[in-house]
Parts: sequence; C-alpha cells; structure tokens
Amino acid sequence: MVFDIVEYEAMTSETGNGVVGLVIVSHSAAIASGLAELVAQVAGPDVPIVAAGGGPDGTLGTDGGRVLAAMHAADVGSGAVILVDLGSSVLSVRAALAELPVDVAAGFVLADAPLVEGAVAAGVTASTGASLAEVAGAAEEARGIAKL
Amino acid sequence: MGSPSSELTVVRLPEAVALHARPAGAFVRAAAAFDATIEVRANGRQANAKSILEVLGLGADGGTELAISASGDDAAAAVAGLAELVAGLA
Repeated sequence: MVFDIVEYEAMTSETGNGVVGLVIVSHSAAIASGLAELVAQVAGPDVPIVAAGGGPDGTLGTDGGRVLAAMHAADVGSGAVILVDLGSSVLSVRAALAELPVDVAAGFVLADAPLVEGAVAAGVTASTGASLAEVAGAAEEARGIAKL
Repeated sequence: MGSPSSELTVVRLPEAVALHARPAGAFVRAAAAFDATIEVRANGRQANAKSILEVLGLGADGGTELAISASGDDAAAAVAGLAELVAGLA
C-alpha cells in the first residue's frame, strides 16, 4: 500500500479535528510510506500522517517542495511535527520552512528524534489530543528510551 | 481533598491479542486520559503506561498477565478502566 500526499489530504479534510499532524521525511519513499502505515496503525485514524519520501525524480533523496506540500497537508489547524531520517532531510525541511511566513512556520516543529521511535511516540501522543509542544516532546524523549 | 490512593490489579491479555501496534496504542491513549501515575509490568519488565515505546518494550504477547498499578486521585478509576480495556481487546 502506497501512502501519497493526495490520499492524506482527503483523509485530513475528512477528520479535520485539530489534532497535531506528523510529517515523515526520508530519503526513501518506501521508508516514509511504510513508517506512515505503521504509525497510523498504532496511533489510530485521527492523526494526519503525511509521508514525504524520495527526491524530485523518484530516486533516493529529499525534495523541499514535496516536504512543503506534506506540511500543508499534515497541519489541520493545530500544527505538525516533522520527523527526518538523515543529513539532507534536515536541509530540505529548513528550506521548506524558509518558504513560509514566520507565523505559519511557527506551527511546525522539526523534532530532533530517532525516526521510527520518534514517529510512533509522536503519533500516539498526538492521538490523545496533546499540544504541538507535547507531541514534539514525546518524539524527542524517544532518544532516551532503551530498545533492549 | 482526599489523599491520593494507590491501586493495583492484574489482568490477562486475551490469548489472541498481543500488546503491540493498535492494542498498545489504545492502551496508552486510555492511560493518558487519567491524571494518576500508572505503571504496567509484564515479563519482568516495567513500563510507564503513558509511554507507547515503553509499553511496546514489554513484549507482552497474548495470554500474558499484566500488573497495572496506579497512584493518584483517580488511581482506582485508572486501574479499573485499563483492566477492562485489556480484557476487552480483540
């Protein structure tokens, strides 16, 4: 199953409940969409989760324009937390944020968190109706939780 | 103000339901609705019931006994509500 931005726009306009959204940025479209699927199963149907994976031409890479579109889709009124995989994912998110007016950019938080654990923690926290800061905090707390 | 209470209950997961993915999310979401501090123990491990990563880390398969303890003003409601949720997972 492939999660694309159009599919999620439809979903978020349906739910539109002010829950904090998630944007998942990866160099790999498969990683981003697979993680979105996993988080959706744990967090339930109310959290807008938008995958932004891969470069402009469908290769491995990141794309600021795709990230920006995903951010707009994920924010249904309460902002969105952005999770990234590696290196230039951060640059793409910063490029996307730079395109936005300051007051709009303030609705997004780029989380300094491990991608999988951070997204799962953020998704479940968002599903409780938590604030943008609380959802971002849950993602960043994932850094300190031992896997074994 | 009444003094905060401590409560403990033990409940067994249905045989066919592991505390993973969707059930774990439902459990944590329910726990987050209470003010009480809530812990869940299984397989010799302990987790904050409001932390999805800690709850997933319990590795609780179907049929596992969960010990749910809570302290705080709504501790009794928390353990009762979570035990009911666990027993009803499908």
